[in-house]
Amino acid sequence: MEISLIKKAVVEFESDKIKGLVREFLDKGVAPLDILEQGLIPGMKEIGRLFAIKEYYVPEVLLGSETFYAGFELIKPLLVQTDIIKKGKILIGVVQGDIHDIGKNIVKVMLESSGYEVLDLGRDVPNEKFIETVINEKPKILALSSLMTTTMVHMETIIKILNKKKLRKTVKVIVGGAPVNQEYANKIGADGYAEDAAGAVKLIDSLTVNPWS
Amino acid sequence: MNRIEEVLQHRRKFAVFPMVCADHCSNLLHQNFKSVATDGKKLAYVLEYGYNLYQYDGILLFSDPYVEAEAMGLELDYNPYPKIVRFSELIREDSMELIRKDSMELIRKDFIRGKEIKALRLKSEEIKGLRLKSSGRVDEIIKAAKLLKKKVDVPIFVSIKGPFTLTSFIVGPENFLKMLLNRKEMAEYYIDVALQFQLSYLKKLLQLGVHIFIGDPMASASVISPALFKKYAYEPLAILIKESKLTGVYVGVHICGDTEPIIDQLDSLGADILSIEDISLKTKTLKMGGVSTLTLLNGTPEEIKKEIKKALKSGRLILSSSCDVPVNTPIENIKLMVDEINKKDGFKKF
Repeated sequence: MEISLIKKAVVEFESDKIKGLVREFLDKGVAPLDILEQGLIPGMKEIGRLFAIKEYYVPEVLLGSETFYAGFELIKPLLVQTDIIKKGKILIGVVQGDIHDIGKNIVKVMLESSGYEVLDLGRDVPNEKFIETVINEKPKILALSSLMTTTMVHMETIIKILNKKKLRKTVKVIVGGAPVNQEYANKIGADGYAEDAAGAVKLIDSLTVNPWS
Repeated sequence: MNRIEEVLQHRRKFAVFPMVCADHCSNLLHQNFKSVATDGKKLAYVLEYGYNLYQYDGILLFSDPYVEAEAMGLELDYNPYPKIVRFSELIREDSMELIRKDSMELIRKDFIRGKEIKALRLKSEEIKGLRLKSSGRVDEIIKAAKLLKKKVDVPIFVSIKGPFTLTSFIVGPENFLKMLLNRKEMAEYYIDVALQFQLSYLKKLLQLGVHIFIGDPMASASVISPALFKKYAYEPLAILIKESKLTGVYVGVHICGDTEPIIDQLDSLGADILSIEDISLKTKTLKMGGVSTLTLLNGTPEEIKKEIKKALKSGRLILSSSCDVPVNTPIENIKLMVDEINKKDGFKKF
């Protein structure tokens, strides 16, 4: 049985099959890290590719992500800390007043499957919570999402508070979401903007200047 | 005759109808949004104020996207604008009994055969059964429409949600999108529930003689594939359009985001107006749009003029914002759109 079956299960979002498959490989003595790196992650990367070329859309990515996590949850406790070389810590969340988190969730799974450690504050996150977490967790990147013109203004506020608290040099801020564009990112002083999840991973790779990328 | 109607009837090339909504108008008057969104009289007042200030060619009666979903049990919190705090309890598997399933199947078959849909609507007691936690905002919209009809002599378009997007609000967007692929029958059932609700709401609106604008942003190709659009979103939209047009009103459809992969489907819906972001796409249906909402919000007059100039080169058009005008959009930026169309006409409206 080939480990590529796990990749296939993720790509075809066979969430009912993935757990059984992962268990079978573990029972056969395959290392959890191999299941992750040769099965689950390539599956998620393929989904990202299909999304980029418009063969997959949001529903397919959501089901693929669900399948990825169903498999990942099984092997996560078995991985020792040194197994995964984390590319860096990313803090992500949807700004205050906004509960649209599908895009943020997709970016999160793409980042996790690309080797980043992601701290997800969820949706409708108060500005102060972002600041407090930047101070306590020291992420490399703060990724802010908004789907509404009424809430995107919080992105600017957060950047202003970071500036005021002299935290801006410690963390790079990137923004995304339907009403946001590169011009808006420039205007509010963000370090970057990405149009979609694949773009967000590339942007973060470039901002963190990771030797893997 | 109004400029929008003249453009629709090929008697004029341009009209101007930016999507100025209740949130922007409430802000102009320093009104708390919740007090406006829950009171038809105030809603009509702020929208009339916006119209008098800008003098565009029509009024969009739009409070927020959740009016119908709230009537179906969605719980909202205002701070200051509405956000969802809990999805509808209506959407439970045991609630399937609320609707006679056979009547929905008949609606689908009947539409396909091109027959009258009227006779197949839900009975009033069944609609009542759907309104588990109605806050009455549907009635406030109707009240606002009646008031505006009396006071303002321009076309009034009442915004309603497309059944696909409405379903995403009552089920929860993520659940709903996954359901489209792994619980298809359930997705169809919920869309039919939303369609039936909208048909009953539409019936009340059409009695007022208002025009209809159907917003269905979740059906955008930024979210779902053209195949899923065809399977789930197209037919409910076409039913609402057909029902509206039987009474002689105009119908617009607004879908933001990427519409290129579904443009032929949108063009064949039978709507009078398509409000889309990319107005360079070729359609037989009259397009509405041309100015990016972000340019309107943050752009300089020169940048806005540049977008308008480009938009007007695309032919017959209702010049508009590509989506709802953001709350804090500068007044002069919206006026600029109206002025540019007036200049084309060589007159100034008073």
